[in-house]
Amino acid sequence: MQSKPNSALVIVGHGSTVNPDSSAPTHLHADAIRVRGLFGEVHCCFWKEEPSVREVLRMVDRDDIYIVPNFISEGYFTDNVIPREFGLEGPMTVRGGRLLKYCEPVGSHASMTRVLLHRAREATPGVDPARTAFLIVGHGTGLNDNSAKAAKEQAARLRTETDYAEVLSTYMEEPPLVADWATLTSAPNVVVVPFFISDGLHSYQDIPVLLGIEEEAGAAASQRGVFRHNPHSLHGRALYYASAIGTEPMIADVILEQVAQFDRTHAA
Amino acid sequence: MGIAAEIVRLLEEGFDTIGQVRILRTGGGFDLRHVDDAGRGDLHVWCRPEEARQIAASDDAGGYRPLKTAPNLRRGWSLRVSGAEELRLALDFLYPAMIGTFLEWRAGGLMPVPLRETLGRQTGMYRVTVRITDAQAGELIAEHCKLEGGCLRKILWSLSAETPLKGLSPAKTDPDGVREGEIPLLCAEACNLLVAAARPVAKQTPPSK
Repeated sequence: MQSKPNSALVIVGHGSTVNPDSSAPTHLHADAIRVRGLFGEVHCCFWKEEPSVREVLRMVDRDDIYIVPNFISEGYFTDNVIPREFGLEGPMTVRGGRLLKYCEPVGSHASMTRVLLHRAREATPGVDPARTAFLIVGHGTGLNDNSAKAAKEQAARLRTETDYAEVLSTYMEEPPLVADWATLTSAPNVVVVPFFISDGLHSYQDIPVLLGIEEEAGAAASQRGVFRHNPHSLHGRALYYASAIGTEPMIADVILEQVAQFDRTHAA
Repeated sequence: MGIAAEIVRLLEEGFDTIGQVRILRTGGGFDLRHVDDAGRGDLHVWCRPEEARQIAASDDAGGYRPLKTAPNLRRGWSLRVSGAEELRLALDFLYPAMIGTFLEWRAGGLMPVPLRETLGRQTGMYRVTVRITDAQAGELIAEHCKLEGGCLRKILWSLSAETPLKGLSPAKTDPDGVREGEIPLLCAEACNLLVAAARPVAKQTPPSK
């Protein structure tokens, strides 16, 4: 991406009042982009943490501001909450002499396919994709609006663009259920990548139980070894569980690609 | 002038404290530490501005701090940063947006948002918060935002455009009510923690017909 010393980047995350791991990936992606010196300044803001969406611009010096939602899909937050809290009127809003450029959410960029593939490969070193089923796990309720659709689209791309034996999008709360992974797949190896923006309660607590890795939900803590004991031998198969896709450092590049895509779409 | 340069100017004016953080100038940069650790020499030294996030993440008992302006900043650390830009970053992690809010207030540009306006803007699961009564809101704020154990910010917003907040001490609402050299933590709008806390209270009130 072309350097933008006169622009600021603001990455918007959900954050949490109970889980310290929720905002961590958003901050880490911001750190990575800040170090590259591509923008005059890089900030984060959150719905449930500080700085809030309402406050963050008070720390921004530049008048040209790219806003990238670090969300897994378009939906309630990207369509409603973030525009409302920033006072956005569309992709471009002039407010107080500043130009606010509202980019697409991270999860909806086409390059997420590459990130998912990287994460799966990383979790299964030396494992032949042709003998492996690749499962993406999304949330899959009305609350997350389009996240199920986004996961499904990614699975379709991975199915045509990679040599995995099977690729499926599964969900926690609607069919095809991730809990049925053993019957949904037949390959000897299974790699499961949570389609979530952070390692929150779902990827640390709920999904390991649904997969059968753990009997009951434990503490939501980064020190637990859910991801370090791969593979798990279950139902005569080797099950590999990866951490949430949003924790992948490559997401920093996806954020930059959303900025570049905004510039292409809204070229002056 | 950028925010980083503004911070340096504040230090030159004699400001040396924000919230529970003391800012000291050192030979090559700045030393940040808990105000109650000002004279200590046995502190754990951190050197990267990003490490301020780790310092601010949990209290002395290891509990998560979702509200960074809560009066429970942990002790025992010293964060040494070099240059105004690193200082800006570190302070923004310790007290997110608070320097910018103070600068805007000092320049006369800060526009506090009445609670009724904040609640009226909510959608989804928080739309119900509009039903909270003035009395319920007053009780909630007195408990949730109290200086001791709640939040160190000074509330600048009113209940509605016509109704001021009642029953709060001047220490909670007066931006000038701080010690000399202290940058006040200012609250220009009810935070989402308060909005979330208003939800169960508001649900007790039946919808108006």
